[in-house]
Amino acid sequence: MRGILTRWLREPLVHFLLGGMLIFVWFAWRGTPVDAESRTITITRAEVAALASGFAGQAARAPTSAELDQMLDDRVREEIYYREALRLGLDIDDPVIRRRLRSKMEFLAASADEGVPPPAGAIDTYFAAHRAQYARDARLSFDQIFVSSAAIAPDGPRSAAIIERLNEMGDNWAALGEPISLPAHMDGAMAGDLDARFGPGFAAALARAPQHQWAGPVRSGYGWHMVRLMARGGGDIPPLAEVRQQVENDWRAETGDARQRAAWRLLRNAYRVTIER
Amino acid sequence: MAKNAVLSRAILFALAGALGACSAVKSDPDGTGENVVANAAHPERVYWGDTHLHTANSVDAFGFGNRLGPEMALRFARGEIVTSSTGVRAQLARPLDFLVIADHSDGLGVTRRLFDAPEFMVTDPTLRRWRAMMHESPAQSQRAIGELITAAATNSLPAQFRNPQVNTEGTRRIWQNHLEIVERYNQPGRFTAFGGFEFSLMPNGNNLHRVVMFRDGIRRTGRVIPFGSIGDVPVERLWDYMDGYERTTGGRVLAIPHNGNLSNGLMFELTGPDGGPMRADYARRRMAHEPVVEATQNKGDSESHPFLSPNDEFAGFGDAGWELGNLPLNERKTPDMFAGEYLREALKRGLTLEAQMGVNPYRFGMVGGTDMHTSLTTSDEDNFLGDHSGNEPSPGRVMAPQTIGTAEGRFGWNFLAGGYTGVWATSNTRAAIFDAIARREVYASTGPRMVVRLFGGFDFTPQDFSGDWVGAGYRRGVPMGGELTGNGQNRAPTFLISALRDPIGANLDRVQMVKGWIDDAGATHEQIYDVAWSSPETRHKVEGRLTPVGNTVDLAHASYTNAIGAPELRTVWRDPDFQPGQRAFYYLRVLEIPTPRWVVYDAVRFGYRLPAGVDPVDQERAYSSPIWYNPAPAAPRTAAMQHLSYRPA
Repeated sequence: MRGILTRWLREPLVHFLLGGMLIFVWFAWRGTPVDAESRTITITRAEVAALASGFAGQAARAPTSAELDQMLDDRVREEIYYREALRLGLDIDDPVIRRRLRSKMEFLAASADEGVPPPAGAIDTYFAAHRAQYARDARLSFDQIFVSSAAIAPDGPRSAAIIERLNEMGDNWAALGEPISLPAHMDGAMAGDLDARFGPGFAAALARAPQHQWAGPVRSGYGWHMVRLMARGGGDIPPLAEVRQQVENDWRAETGDARQRAAWRLLRNAYRVTIER
Repeated sequence: MAKNAVLSRAILFALAGALGACSAVKSDPDGTGENVVANAAHPERVYWGDTHLHTANSVDAFGFGNRLGPEMALRFARGEIVTSSTGVRAQLARPLDFLVIADHSDGLGVTRRLFDAPEFMVTDPTLRRWRAMMHESPAQSQRAIGELITAAATNSLPAQFRNPQVNTEGTRRIWQNHLEIVERYNQPGRFTAFGGFEFSLMPNGNNLHRVVMFRDGIRRTGRVIPFGSIGDVPVERLWDYMDGYERTTGGRVLAIPHNGNLSNGLMFELTGPDGGPMRADYARRRMAHEPVVEATQNKGDSESHPFLSPNDEFAGFGDAGWELGNLPLNERKTPDMFAGEYLREALKRGLTLEAQMGVNPYRFGMVGGTDMHTSLTTSDEDNFLGDHSGNEPSPGRVMAPQTIGTAEGRFGWNFLAGGYTGVWATSNTRAAIFDAIARREVYASTGPRMVVRLFGGFDFTPQDFSGDWVGAGYRRGVPMGGELTGNGQNRAPTFLISALRDPIGANLDRVQMVKGWIDDAGATHEQIYDVAWSSPETRHKVEGRLTPVGNTVDLAHASYTNAIGAPELRTVWRDPDFQPGQRAFYYLRVLEIPTPRWVVYDAVRFGYRLPAGVDPVDQERAYSSPIWYNPAPAAPRTAAMQHLSYRPA
């Protein structure tokens, strides 16, 4: 029992529901802000301003005084009908109002799910279990030349010959490549960007190449490349703070349904329901 | 009193918890990403995105059965696995770099509320019937939404749908919730999520829709709500709204017209909105607010039409079905309407209007979108998840009549797989991508992620390609979307052109330069030049037509091979017919080799024969934004021009 209680106390939806209950208690105790007994209606300056700014938000201009009068008239009409309806008890057992309140509660629960921070520890736990998913992009610095021909299959005699010629060419190595609009040299390129430009899997294959020497061929979406990997970095796991939002997104997406079901069960369990047949 | 204070504190505490989530990114208060990520000196790589996606918050998408909200849309775009509304597990082969969710501003979330409402609460007989249909079956639900779209198109929506106060309240709630999710998924440098909506203006069913996208984060976008079009609000009121947003928040916003092909001639008119002559002021405002137009998407392609371009053998792409009439097909198309619908003609009309007024209202770049209503931004032929959730993969969808409105003559196979936008931005941030769109350094693709570069100048030579030609392009010319002004030496413009195929896609057939110009008598013309093509040793121009590239498509297996075509085509091209005194524009059309359309993948997947009349094969393509040529400024001729060129000493 104690375990359940502490778990509940950690649950953001419980916090939310308690907060909501407090709001209702407060209003019930203070009396609702709209006093059904009163026959005095005061529309405050702030309310008038809110009406005008609501209009401006849509129309991108302030309302004319005729438009504002129209809105105020409508506001007063609504208030009077509303109070008279309360006086007549029309709100009691009205299925429309019941349904409306229910949908408001459901909306509140849904936006609670959106707005309330995850319980302490949930994000750390999730991050610990999925660390690899949040590794920083590998960063690669390299030279490459493009060789479209399939004749230089891996371990084929021609790739060794090309490497030999690349070594002979020295600084002029780029002249050996066939023209293609891909960079011959990149510094600290992110693996994701590389895959977008060269095709999926290129970055991973490049990262496996030996450093500071010509090697290959490595396959891209366009054909084959001889590569010289100069530096390899990144790929490490960042501290949680750096990726917190992303981890939280994934945690929410993965647990959203379960948390909403749990919140409903919580409410439901507080009731004893008897159905007589 | 003490008790009261304690309770108040408790409430404040509960609220503070809810607000805490909003202050996640500290260094980027305006949400533009400007101070978070370093920008390249000039754009180095193209960023891919969809500028036009709908989620379950769209009035029609929900009715069509979509139950996925913006969060799932964003997760899918950034590469996660998502299960579609009909239960298909889906994942993009490659993530996108950015996404604009553009739900209809009209009735944001309204169908969901109607669906949830108890029956007796719904007094309007039409709404009552729609509600019942939505609950009856997916097919009936789609029929209800078809009727709803027609009603919206003909301005006959039930009064309850048009109640602005009720709708404003609902819109505000959904918009805030939506923006919070967008904010959580915006990751400067990795994935950009834009706030936006669709303004679905549709007088008499003639499509004048615009996607509206913001450069800013929730601190600014949260101060407005999406602007509605119900009651046939003229488009100038949308521009007023945009001006109001920029004035009050200090942010920036732009609009992207789309589906000119369904506007029955109204998207690019020669006259002003009142039917009289177009005023320079209107033209100036249109240019300022709408720098790009969507050229292609799943409801057809609006670049060109064979009626307007009878000499263009590739003009008919994505026109079948959509060319029959406006969006709900309550008005059939007549040939005189085409000229106001397709982008190439609109660019020419822009030159005509510029000659009359001195301002070109149609100086726009080109982007591509999906317009999917499934929350899933798919654009490849082998992953067509459907235009809407009633059109998700199923054996019958190819020949299913499209019940958008009272459609006859439009079928499932008329849908294209959807388009994407390539953006030459200096980083993957809202600011950099938005600014690139605003300066038109963008291009449209019908799906494949081919890399297209275009620079215009006066002194490019083939030798430029042996060095840093991109740097040279920026130093000595303008990129796509730019303008060249004659230098008085009567030299013809030259263009650096490069098209690299999608790294996991089909080879390229050819690159074409599309030129439009206005002659001294005020008549407009167009000419298409094949400027680079694969296997030039065997393919030649015969009577102006290039030998076709061939076709490797295997219909039985929904496959093709890259045995034909070229991975990259590049060239330097000089306009051989240049006239220094004539205004002109130049844009690229890059054609892939023929590949199977999505209908062929469907036929193989579900094991049936494609019915006769269904196009099985097409050549996918990219359209660059144009580069405009303006003659060297002549001596001022009119008082107005003198005024413009006056500079105080």
